[in-house]
Amino acid sequence: MANYGMLINTKKCIGCYACRTACQRQNNLLPDEAFIRFEEREVGTYPSVRVEHVPLQCMHCEDAPCVSVCPTGAAKYGTDGIVEVDQGRCIGCLYCVAACPYQVRVRNSQTGAVDKCRFCTVAADDGTKMCSCVEACLTGCRIFGDLDDPNSEISKAIIETGAAPIAGDLTKAKIYYVR
Amino acid sequence: MSENAITRRSFLAGSAGVAAAAAVGFTSFGAWQQAHADEEAGEGRTEAVHTLCNACSSKCGYTAYVVDGKLTKLIGDPQNPNASGHLCARGYGYSQIAYSKDRLTDPLKKNAQGVFEAISWDQAYAEIAEKVRAIIEEDGPDALALVQDPRPSGSYYAKRFMTALGSPNSYTHGAACNLSKVSGITQAIGAGDWVSDVENSKMTMFIGRSYCDGIRPSQVAALERGFENGAYTVMVDPRCNNSTVFASEWVPITPGTDLALVLAMSNVLIKNNLYDADFVAANGVGFDEWAAAIAECTPAWAEEITGIPANTIERLAAQFAEAAPAASIEPSWRGAYGCAYANSGETARAVALFNTLLGCWNQPGGALLTSSAAAGKLDDPRFAAPPKPEGTLLGTKEYPLAAASMGSAVFAGEMAKAGVLKGMFFYNSNMAAGYSNPAYLADALSQLELMVVCDVQMSETALLADYVLPETSYLERAELPEFGGGKVPYVAMRSQVLDVIHPNTKSCDQIFTELAQACGVGEYFDFTQEELANAQLKTVGLDVDSLRLVGTVQFPEKAFVYGTAPKWNTPTKKVQFTSEACAKAGLSACPVWVAPQTVPEDGAFRLVGGKEAIMTHTQTANIPELMNIAEQYGLDRPWISAADAKALGIEDNDECVVENEQHSGTSKVRVTERISPGVVYIPSHFGCTVPEQHTAYGFGLRIMDYVPFHIEPAYGSAMTQEATVKIKKVGA
Repeated sequence: MANYGMLINTKKCIGCYACRTACQRQNNLLPDEAFIRFEEREVGTYPSVRVEHVPLQCMHCEDAPCVSVCPTGAAKYGTDGIVEVDQGRCIGCLYCVAACPYQVRVRNSQTGAVDKCRFCTVAADDGTKMCSCVEACLTGCRIFGDLDDPNSEISKAIIETGAAPIAGDLTKAKIYYVR
Repeated sequence: MSENAITRRSFLAGSAGVAAAAAVGFTSFGAWQQAHADEEAGEGRTEAVHTLCNACSSKCGYTAYVVDGKLTKLIGDPQNPNASGHLCARGYGYSQIAYSKDRLTDPLKKNAQGVFEAISWDQAYAEIAEKVRAIIEEDGPDALALVQDPRPSGSYYAKRFMTALGSPNSYTHGAACNLSKVSGITQAIGAGDWVSDVENSKMTMFIGRSYCDGIRPSQVAALERGFENGAYTVMVDPRCNNSTVFASEWVPITPGTDLALVLAMSNVLIKNNLYDADFVAANGVGFDEWAAAIAECTPAWAEEITGIPANTIERLAAQFAEAAPAASIEPSWRGAYGCAYANSGETARAVALFNTLLGCWNQPGGALLTSSAAAGKLDDPRFAAPPKPEGTLLGTKEYPLAAASMGSAVFAGEMAKAGVLKGMFFYNSNMAAGYSNPAYLADALSQLELMVVCDVQMSETALLADYVLPETSYLERAELPEFGGGKVPYVAMRSQVLDVIHPNTKSCDQIFTELAQACGVGEYFDFTQEELANAQLKTVGLDVDSLRLVGTVQFPEKAFVYGTAPKWNTPTKKVQFTSEACAKAGLSACPVWVAPQTVPEDGAFRLVGGKEAIMTHTQTANIPELMNIAEQYGLDRPWISAADAKALGIEDNDECVVENEQHSGTSKVRVTERISPGVVYIPSHFGCTVPEQHTAYGFGLRIMDYVPFHIEPAYGSAMTQEATVKIKKVGA
């Protein structure tokens, strides 16, 4: 059993949206269905200003509010620490959308069911070529791996960079940010 | 299922041919084999096809995965020098053009009521040919012209069609892109571009170019590596662009004044004897004249013009001298001086001369004059060029410095208005919306007796046409090989990924071949696209089948070597600090300060444009995936500085009127610290006025509506940023 997580280095993020559009192709999403959203922050004032781009997606929380509020069990904990949506069980009540503090769950306008990042990039582990957010990132912002393995690249990088969840201990989120 | 698709089985069957080709210079086959061998062996329903993206002009190579005939994932090819294993957002998004609801599906003819009706290809060809014949009979072939944004097949077929008709008037989109940059640099060094070796540099300055907005993935990677290697990277730009993530310093500048900055830095190097005098003496002509001419161009002088503090200019010049020769100014592209101002060509010339002062040509970390691969001479007489047209490219006399390979398409527009040009063809070009003032161009092009547009979706230009010819999307056609340059020259090729979706669309090679046949010049097109591709590839030891398997082949034996003495392909065979051609064209022999022609009156802002990472040209705005991002994040909004907004009582997202003498429009605005006061930025891709583009139509402002029709003296560009606007809150 692995416990998958991701690190996103916002210091290298250029805000180009390649991860979002790649994800749509990789996962065959609708044009208005995006698993990654972005926050942009200006730091400082002209001319001493810099910009920070923060991509946000399902954090695969260990104490996921979406799972807690889902009345049908469609939102659930899957294997390897990945939070899943059973599309067949989803009744489109949108409780989970309201409950997610990161606002990263989206409604599929064709099926009415809710969906979100699946950590699909796990499939790249066996060498399968993918255009997941991790593979597509132009600047190598993202590291994916097993948080429980102290020797994994991500575990080492979290220690090295001091990466932390975006909202502290709001939830037990498994995406770590370098900022 | 496309016949060009590579299944695992066909890959294995073809591997013998690849092994043979490997002997003449495959470098990437092993990597490709590794990447593909383990994949999708199971059902045989998944195919992987190498193609070239067609969103922007970079033509990045990627592998398209097709499952049961439908395009799925896209993986940038590591062996393609532009993609370097990645694609940008536009690339992923624009792939969906194949499935667009707004595709052109049949040839269209505008009827007497001005309404398009579908006609047969035969009728279209016959009627176009009849009108071409009439124009040639009446006014000669010089009354015909072509405008295109060159793509692998189009640049061959469309131009050959014009040449066969006897017309010298083939233009690219350059006048609204990089014409001034290429032409100005050419006057100085005899080549139109260089590669700034940012990843190995100690210092690189970018002027109005942002690798992280107008994205080519390999350039983003080079910038990132350079920054991480400790290169001092400087972004000179009125906007704090997204490349500033990898910049040591953002230097905001008054738009249109980059020339003053470059002259002042040159002045510092010369005055303080910090330039490479030996290199200049050995390679240059006219240096003393230039040095004298810019003796007054001090940092204090430039501060007044550029808004950059004199001590910053002084410091940057000194840093350059310290870092040289592992330092350069990057050549830029469209942004600051590709086609923007009355001084754009002269800015380009000065930048090339500044790099000469650094002695950085072909030095590690400097400015590299790399070469391109090219097909050799084709022996088969079918491929012989048609006779050279007797006339000369229209505009050569008026804009003598404009690179002949591009010409001034906006001057062609003016000549349409004047009735000199009678018939025009457009391929992959939305001139009416993107090249200069759309109202002027609509009027000008409406004067034509014959206007033919070949495209994949209705455009502002196509709306003006008499005939619209529907092309297959780039995913549904194979094209001629694309020979490219850089540190390692390469050839790449677009193969057919998808079956043709709309049966009555055709590829551009077929369209121009059949047009030529109808016009009586079919003798110059007596070959198939694949025969020509094979003939071209044979000259470099390849063939279509082997290139199809790998997508891109590099030629390491032709790789750039540091330290190679540059060959200056100028009339004097030297770096020309003074240029006779420039003097003849009415400019100073050496580049001196030329002010932008537009001076903002009180309360007006200088207008700048520029790419965002999700859009390019005018063709991506109708892609729902990309427009959805623009809508969600308000990426169409003009930018205004926080200081200016405060003074005008404007808050972020306020609905504002943006107006000048040309145009008035309303939009929400973005209030930001990331732009110089006195400047308004309008993203370059919005404001589509084509109702047939259901996603793009009516969304955002179109920057070109604010730009008057005018042409840069001597260089022929559209001066796309010689404009000012006023801005106020709606109701204020």
